[in-house]
Amino acid sequence: MKSVSELTDFYYKNLFPTLKNLEDKRKKVKERMILISIIYTLLFALIAYAIGDFYEFILVAYIVLGTIIYKFLIKDYTHEFKLNVIKPLIHAIDNSLLYSSTTHVSDYLFEHSNLFSKPDRLSGNDYVKGKIDNINIQFSDIHAQKRHKNSRGKESWSTLFQGLFLVADFNKHFYGETVVLPDTAQNSFGSLIGHWLQSNNISRDELVKMDDTEFEKEFVVYSSDQVEARYILSNALMKKLLFFKEKSKHDIYISFIGANIYMAISYEKDLFEPSIFSSLLEYKVAMEYIKTLHLAISVVKELKLNQRLWSKT
Amino acid sequence: MSTPLIILIVIALILILMYNSLVAKKNQVTNIFASVDTVLKKRYDLIPNLVASVNKYMEHEKSLLEEVTKLRAEANRPNISDEQKITLDAKVSSALGSIMVAVENYPELKANENVMHLQRTLNEVEEQISAARRAYNQAVTDYNNAIEMIPTNYMASLMSYKQKEVFEIVESQRKNINVKELFN
Repeated sequence: MKSVSELTDFYYKNLFPTLKNLEDKRKKVKERMILISIIYTLLFALIAYAIGDFYEFILVAYIVLGTIIYKFLIKDYTHEFKLNVIKPLIHAIDNSLLYSSTTHVSDYLFEHSNLFSKPDRLSGNDYVKGKIDNINIQFSDIHAQKRHKNSRGKESWSTLFQGLFLVADFNKHFYGETVVLPDTAQNSFGSLIGHWLQSNNISRDELVKMDDTEFEKEFVVYSSDQVEARYILSNALMKKLLFFKEKSKHDIYISFIGANIYMAISYEKDLFEPSIFSSLLEYKVAMEYIKTLHLAISVVKELKLNQRLWSKT
Repeated sequence: MSTPLIILIVIALILILMYNSLVAKKNQVTNIFASVDTVLKKRYDLIPNLVASVNKYMEHEKSLLEEVTKLRAEANRPNISDEQKITLDAKVSSALGSIMVAVENYPELKANENVMHLQRTLNEVEEQISAARRAYNQAVTDYNNAIEMIPTNYMASLMSYKQKEVFEIVESQRKNINVKELFN
């Protein structure tokens, strides 16, 4: 697998002609966008002025319609960007991987991961699927939302999870369910109360206290089987997960169910999307695409999922 | 309701909770020791097969093989205490480790399909044992803490609960045994 710096080279060398071409398009889209938004805003201001009431309603309409127009304006550019930048990047990492810009990891797998409560709306895109060192892996952007209704019957949506969702084969046999979550309780309430809260979490299985203090600080583990949780989370794997978390710089949710490892990395935004207002040639922008992709695909190597030392076939 | 009665009820409740949590901790230790026992048995069952496979080649390590066989016989005796099982486990681990290192000196053995399979199975069982040991140690630590800490220590001494022993985890066992390296 190519390293991050090799990928950066690939981005700036091999993709350069495409990037330049896209860059011209981006500038055109940006100019058009600014022009349209000025007219659009003026139009709404005029309407609001003419009506002289219902300001809240007009503001909502302004935002909703504006978002639709924005999406419509960048649609072609986004499509071209994904086809000419994201796809080649993925193939540069591994040629056998399949990429689809519109689909996402199935609802079934997301719910099966047991990491979040059942979402009422699941959307996503940029789906990658394939085999790395003979290990099945798939991931995509996911946005899971929950619907709420207040006493007046007004509907609102909250985000359960937004970020990268990844599923891969796991290299050990197990039967139960083990879930590893970011340790929010112990961090915000201190270890004594936090621990008490965790051990009384009724929506989860038994709390498992791990013997790695660093790991215990960052994560909380629930499992249907105390011994199996430790069989899965060997001292070596705990170290690797800590390292992986440090590298990703985001909250990570991990579960081990069936024959799979599920991982949700919370970026809290839609990934692999082009920005109209910053250049594709900017180092920071490029690095974000490269690093995120590299992080996802490197899971197999980082966690040594490809080492089937045990008799699992 | 009068105030003394309420105080009495609260005290009774606290006592019941303390009692129950101690019993739960003790039972957790017993439960997990049962899983430790299962995986330890699994390993003991592999020993005769291993000894039989390497016996012919390992002339110089006869004493090592005899020791392992003896340890297995000891572990299979009925009515041995948990403490004895823990000590035996440590001995067996180190003896098996030495045998695996010795296997390295015999190219015929290293290439032997049966030995290779045994090594893999043994590694997996070792991994399961390590997990069971860690789970047991955590349960024992929780239990020992409850026995020593205020206020449950008073209750524990009334119930005549005693401290339990944990498995010593040797530093070398913390690392995963890399089978690939063993084979090279």
